[in-house]
Amino acid sequence: RMEASCLELALEGERLCKAGDCRAGVSFFEAAVQVGTEDLRTLSAIYSQLGNAYFYLHEYAKALEYHHHDLTLARTIGDLLGEAKASGNLGNTLKVLGNFEEAIVCCQRHLDISRELNDKVGEARALYNLGNVYHSKGKNVASAGTHDPGDLPDDVKNALQKAANYYEENLTIVTELGDRAAQGRAFGNLGNTHYLLGNFRSAILAHEQRLLIAKEFGDRSAERRAYSNLGNAYIFLGEFETASEYYKRTLQLARQLKDRAVEAQACYSLGNTYTLLQDYEKAIDYHLKHLVIAQELNDKIGEGRACWSLGNAYTALGNHDQAIHFAERHLEISREVGDRSGELTARLNLSDLQMVLGLSYSANNSMMSESHVAENSLNGTRPRVGRRHSMENMELMKLTPEKVQNWN
Amino acid sequence: SQPMAGHQAAELQSKVVPSKQILHSDNMEMEPETMETKSVTDYFSKLHMGSLVYSCTSKRKNK
Repeated sequence: RMEASCLELALEGERLCKAGDCRAGVSFFEAAVQVGTEDLRTLSAIYSQLGNAYFYLHEYAKALEYHHHDLTLARTIGDLLGEAKASGNLGNTLKVLGNFEEAIVCCQRHLDISRELNDKVGEARALYNLGNVYHSKGKNVASAGTHDPGDLPDDVKNALQKAANYYEENLTIVTELGDRAAQGRAFGNLGNTHYLLGNFRSAILAHEQRLLIAKEFGDRSAERRAYSNLGNAYIFLGEFETASEYYKRTLQLARQLKDRAVEAQACYSLGNTYTLLQDYEKAIDYHLKHLVIAQELNDKIGEGRACWSLGNAYTALGNHDQAIHFAERHLEISREVGDRSGELTARLNLSDLQMVLGLSYSANNSMMSESHVAENSLNGTRPRVGRRHSMENMELMKLTPEKVQNWN
Repeated sequence: SQPMAGHQAAELQSKVVPSKQILHSDNMEMEPETMETKSVTDYFSKLHMGSLVYSCTSKRKNK
């Protein structure tokens, strides 16, 4: 009778998770564990699902705990397929937690067992997971360093190259299997790996395939991801017009999907792209749109970025009134969020503007009103002392093809 | 010089501002992870309901 009860609770947990309510599902699974069962296969399935539910809820420590229980159980009862699955899930969880070496061991185990069992589907999935772990590992080391993105240290390059190889291997199998959805995922991540490696043309080819498959499935989220990634790659090829077209499609889909955060990101990318195209009116238009959403979402850091970008764009247009307004706002926000270097940048911007305007300007006590007199006489004219130049240094620093050439 | 100071400030800033908001290069959109799934019904069906239901659930799972 206890057995039935554990099973009933677990079945309800499964139903809830399938319906998308992982939180409620977790409660039922935990209740099922409390009741207990002597059937270790059932218990293994419960642990596995608890692990996945916690994974989707972003509670990775809990996910790790349950996938580990599942692995131990699967080994105990000699369930090889179960062990492969648990290893894969444990590997994915360890990856998210940044424990890449252990993640690799687990995903490799998933791969080895799948090959032993001649399980092609499992093999392909393990290869995809391994690709993801190496990608994360490469990206993680790259972002922790102080070097430029293209100037990749050997360990980063090696990890990313391994990721690309695993994605390619995965693609061979899922193409044989005719699994278009899996191909779509592999193309997307392969494209991102090429992008990090600085192979922008290859990145574009992969993302174009991803886009094609997303359209086949009518998967608009995947379609939006592909547009965004294509935009990023074209930026680094110096093809800003093409990039802006892709970002506009990203924006269109973000609006259709009613994802405000993604909409904000698309506006920000468009603002930066139009800055690169030196069309500052359009840049301002998109940065303002980004600012509105950042405020709406109470994203202080995004708001700071928007103010910084707006300050630069208005400076480029010679509108110092607005430039000072946004530089001051940037300073305020940087202080608020405790961003010391943002604060420093804002102070530099303000002192530059002060120099341009020939004002005795102090960031501590001044507000807009104090700059009005000088502003009126200068408004609309482009100053000889250029903030524009240093602004371009900032915006273009990591975006220009010249820079890219150095990386390659 | 001014441009140099600006450049240094940008260097500094780029390391601190969270990646999501800063540059195109950091705003990569990854595909979702795939997790392996187990189900009590797989085993339950196999055990209690015979092969017909089991083959149905396997088919459903393979979709």
